[in-house]
Amino acid sequence: MFITSPSSFRPLTRLSALRSRRWYSANTVEAPPASGHLTSVASSQLLRLTRETALRTPGLTWTDESDSDPVRSMVGGRETRKMNVYQAVRDALSIALAKDDTAVVFGEDVAFGGVFRCTMGLAEEFGRERVFNTPLTEQGIAGFGIGIASMGHTAIAEIQFADYIFPAFDQIVNEAAKYRYRAGGQFSIGGLTIRTPTMAVGHGGLYHSQSPEGFFVGASGLKIVIPRSPIQCKGLLLASVRDPNPVLFMEPKILYRSAGNSLPVEQVPIDDFALPLSRAEILIPGSDLTLLSWGTPIYHCEAAINILRSPPSALEPLIPASIRSAKIELIDLRTILPWDVETVVESVRKTRRLVVVHEAGYTGGVGGEVAAEVQKRAFLRLEAPVKRVTGWE
Amino acid sequence: MHLYTTAKFRALQLSPQMFTLLRAPLRLPSRARPLTTVAQELARGVLPASNSPVCSTLQFFNSVTQGSGQIPTYRVLDGVGIPIEGAEIPDITPEFARRLYENMQLLPAMDSILYNVQRQGKISFYHGEEATIIGSAAALANDDEVLGQYREMGVLLWRGFGINAAMAQCFGNYEDKSGKGRQMPMHFGSPEHHFHTISSPLATQIPQAAGVGFALKRDPARRNKNVACVFFGEGAASEGDFHAGMLLASTIPTPTIFLARNNGFAISTPAHEQYHGDGIAARGPGYGVDTVRVDGNDVLAVFNAVKEARRRCLEGSRAVLVEAMTYRVGHHSTSDDSFAYRGRQEVENWKKIDNPTTRFRLFMESRGWWNEKEEEELKVKLRNDVVTTLKRAETLKQGDLRDLFTDVYGGEEPWNLREQREELARLVKKYGEVWEPWQKELKRFKDEGKKLVD
Repeated sequence: MFITSPSSFRPLTRLSALRSRRWYSANTVEAPPASGHLTSVASSQLLRLTRETALRTPGLTWTDESDSDPVRSMVGGRETRKMNVYQAVRDALSIALAKDDTAVVFGEDVAFGGVFRCTMGLAEEFGRERVFNTPLTEQGIAGFGIGIASMGHTAIAEIQFADYIFPAFDQIVNEAAKYRYRAGGQFSIGGLTIRTPTMAVGHGGLYHSQSPEGFFVGASGLKIVIPRSPIQCKGLLLASVRDPNPVLFMEPKILYRSAGNSLPVEQVPIDDFALPLSRAEILIPGSDLTLLSWGTPIYHCEAAINILRSPPSALEPLIPASIRSAKIELIDLRTILPWDVETVVESVRKTRRLVVVHEAGYTGGVGGEVAAEVQKRAFLRLEAPVKRVTGWE
Repeated sequence: MHLYTTAKFRALQLSPQMFTLLRAPLRLPSRARPLTTVAQELARGVLPASNSPVCSTLQFFNSVTQGSGQIPTYRVLDGVGIPIEGAEIPDITPEFARRLYENMQLLPAMDSILYNVQRQGKISFYHGEEATIIGSAAALANDDEVLGQYREMGVLLWRGFGINAAMAQCFGNYEDKSGKGRQMPMHFGSPEHHFHTISSPLATQIPQAAGVGFALKRDPARRNKNVACVFFGEGAASEGDFHAGMLLASTIPTPTIFLARNNGFAISTPAHEQYHGDGIAARGPGYGVDTVRVDGNDVLAVFNAVKEARRRCLEGSRAVLVEAMTYRVGHHSTSDDSFAYRGRQEVENWKKIDNPTTRFRLFMESRGWWNEKEEEELKVKLRNDVVTTLKRAETLKQGDLRDLFTDVYGGEEPWNLREQREELARLVKKYGEVWEPWQKELKRFKDEGKKLVD
């Protein structure tokens, strides 16, 4: 499943930047190789490599200059530009800041451009009053963002790695998620978005690799969004920033620079656009099995589908010819909370089989939630137990 | 010098010239040219990234004040309402003083009645406190944003929230705008009165206040006009969020007043088990925050201190810390019997010796602003007002049962909440009509559970 050649591993010296975020500085950050670490992205058919396909991204709606303008669906004259994920994040933030005077971007080391370059140049463009560093305090960053958002302003906070979101767990679960409900709807913090890099990066060890989305699924009132590509990232991030609820936006960090330079890179519309939250997307239609995932493992799933279809010679004896022609439906869940049960269940009713794939561990993972709900709703249609392919525990 | 060979210089990556510079006497006379390099900073007698002078005496520090004395407590009136020597009485009118006093008296009036009601099981939770809250409320502008812990109802009452609204929240009836009956009693909130809804987790409001202060500073309509003021107890100041909030408000300068109510106890834990330093005030300078300690049972001292804190806060757009020293006369809450961990006599003594309302009353009487007759009339009036609103509040039904499911999300209602609401509707229909406990329970709601489905 992981098609990685030895040459794609980075020399250890380059990894020092990831060893400890406390040691990050503008001088020590080195870019990952342009190919990224997930070579399956390089050959992915899921990316939209031309202007025409980018502009036809399903669910895309244009958000035009003024809020009072009708949302335009006309595509004519729209332009696109090659972007990878970190550039798409930066582009979305730039639009959010440009169009909303109350919007601010803050977190640890965001002012010089961020340790993943997602906020490059924003401080210069919008000023240090709007793009600024905070002290190293995750609970403080979340609380500060809640305070800003409670005044009706737009707060875009960054937690440097999702692994370090736990000090902010109280602020996110007890405060952010419950803010509107407990205030009888009188106060809300819809303007809060917390961005955080998530998932494995190849060499991140225990604290630069985690997928903690499962810990937050019980926090009703919160939305959790995980994009898979540059277009998805921009559209979903802009939707998250403007959603009337606090959103935890988790960016798969291995994809930040993947699909860059000579490798396939998405053409991302340069205008302001949104993709809908709480809507899953069917990426590859199929009729024999539903494969559900989000973030990085989407590309592992795609690679697995390709291997199944035409296995390398070493694997041929292990993969019965009878299943090679199986038509697998690949779905990107995109929003983890509240998730799109309708699309998933409809797919499973058709295919009668479900495999959920995520990087987080098995027990307590989001896969368990999905499996339980699908088994409840499609019990009579299922021909096999729901299978979860997840990280080990 | 002879010990340092050329090899040594090389090992240290220092030139002999740089070495000489580093050996220069501490605190060189200031020179006209800018000192920029690390070596030059060192030569100046301070360390890089600090203005700390280098010294040759090995010294340890503990207190922030000279000679390890404690930070003084600012006071205006003594225990019997007489201005202490040198204290400045704020320029207040008799009307304003009476308003302060009436609001101070309103709190214990509500407190004792609600407390007794709670003992009868009518509401589930109550506790209260007065001079610090009313003194601060009076010193703030009515549209300053307040974030409380849960002993700050007085701020709302000062701002005209009304006893009815307070009762509605405590009873969770359909008039409760604070939280539609969702939160425990005393968890008030009102955007109209610039009072952010109270939540139970301690100290979470502290870093939030820094964010509120930041938003005020960015808002052209409120910049240099309003402050954020956050209240918390000395126990809550032990939470990590206190550290985060002070740090954020000092590094990202915002007009935020941090108001610590140090009443000596966090439930059963006395302050000396809460911290070993000189209270909360001693921490302020560590964050580079202007700090004052004030007698929290002296309403005029609190008024003066918070007024000055607010002025500084706006002037410099920087955080200020106020520690108000009080004593929690009541139990922590109705779930608590405080005589289990402190002497009854100790509390009784405190009530007599240093009662914030008595102190201020004596002051007003000495000015001819108040008398026995007015005192009696006020007590009767407050009692009547409280009892009347209470009787009304307890007869009102709770809001719609449907509101159990609303406001979780803004915008589209997610499928899970819709389905759970529909499930409850089915259960209410099935059991609510025939099962007596459910019939009785449903009658408590305004919609009797009938509006659960669209």
